[in-house]
Amino acid sequence: MTRNEGPLPASGLGVAMRIGLELVVATMVGTGLGWLGDRYLGTSPWLMLVGVVIGVAAGFLNVYRDIRQAEDENRE
Amino acid sequence: MENPLHHFELHRLIPITLFGFDLSINQAVVMMWLVVAAVALLFILGGRHRRLVPMKFQSVVELAVLFLRQTVLDTMGPKGLVFLPLLIALFFFILFGNLFGLLPGAYTVTSQVMVTGVFALISFLLSFIVGFWYHGPGFLKKIFVPSGVPLWLLPLLVPIEMVSQLARPVTLAVRLFANMTAGHMVILVFFGLMFSGGLLVGWLPLGMTVALYLLEILVALIQAYVFVVLTCVYVGEAIHLH
Repeated sequence: MTRNEGPLPASGLGVAMRIGLELVVATMVGTGLGWLGDRYLGTSPWLMLVGVVIGVAAGFLNVYRDIRQAEDENRE
Repeated sequence: MENPLHHFELHRLIPITLFGFDLSINQAVVMMWLVVAAVALLFILGGRHRRLVPMKFQSVVELAVLFLRQTVLDTMGPKGLVFLPLLIALFFFILFGNLFGLLPGAYTVTSQVMVTGVFALISFLLSFIVGFWYHGPGFLKKIFVPSGVPLWLLPLLVPIEMVSQLARPVTLAVRLFANMTAGHMVILVFFGLMFSGGLLVGWLPLGMTVALYLLEILVALIQAYVFVVLTCVYVGEAIHLH
C-alpha cells in the first residue's frame, strides 16, 4: 500500500489541531517548573518569571518543529 | 437542567482499598474492560480465517493495520516497525475509548486526564528508552545541547530544550482529554437545550446535536490518529536525532 492517492484529508486537520495547544502547554510547563523552583528555593517570583519566558520560547520551538515536519511530509 | 459535568464524574461501583490505595471499580474501569474486550474481539474475528480474499472483519483489520504500518514507515523508517504492535494497541484502545464514550449512557474513558496521562507517559518514556538504546548516554547531550551554537547561548538554550521536551507528554495528554471532555459536553449541552427550547425552537438544538455527534465521531478518529502519529514522530526523532 503506497500513498500515491495523496495524503489523507484528515492528516492536514491533524496538523492544525496539534499546533494550537503546544504554545499554551509549553508556557504552562515552564511557568510551573519555575514556580516549583521558587517554592523550594524561596526566590519568589524570579524563577517563575524566567520560567514564563523559557516556556514561551519552548512553545515556539515546538510549533516551529511541528510545522517543519509537516512541510517535510508534504514535500515527499 | 442537569449539570453538564455530571456525566464525567466517577462513582464507585465496588469499593476496594489495597495497601491504602483506592482501587475501587468505577465506571471508567468497567468501560476500559469493555473497550479491551471489543478490540480483542475485532482482532480475533479479523484474524481467525486469514483468507487471501478478506471477508468483512478481516478487511477492516487489514486496512487499519496497513494504514498504521504506512504511517510508521513514513515517520520512523523501517527501524520503527518494531513498535508497530504497541502503536496499533494504543490506536485501537484510544479509538474505541473515544467511540464508546459516544454511546448513550456510556462513560468516556479518554475524558479522564489520568488515562490519557499514562498513555502520554508511555510514549514519552518509550522515546527516551529508544534514544538511550540507539545513542547511549550521549543521547541526553544530543537532544538538550543543539550543535553549532556559541557557548554563551547554552545557558538559555538548554532550559528551553528541556521545557520543550517536557511539554510534549503534557500536550499529548491534554489534547486527547480536552477534546473528548469538551466535545461530549457540548453535545450534552445542546441536547439539554432541546428540552428547554420547547416545541417552537427545540428542533434547532436537536439538529445541532446530530451535527455535533457526527463531528465528534470524526474527532474521535482524528485524535486517536494524532496521538499515534505524534508518538511515532517523537520515537522517530529519538532514533534519527533530526
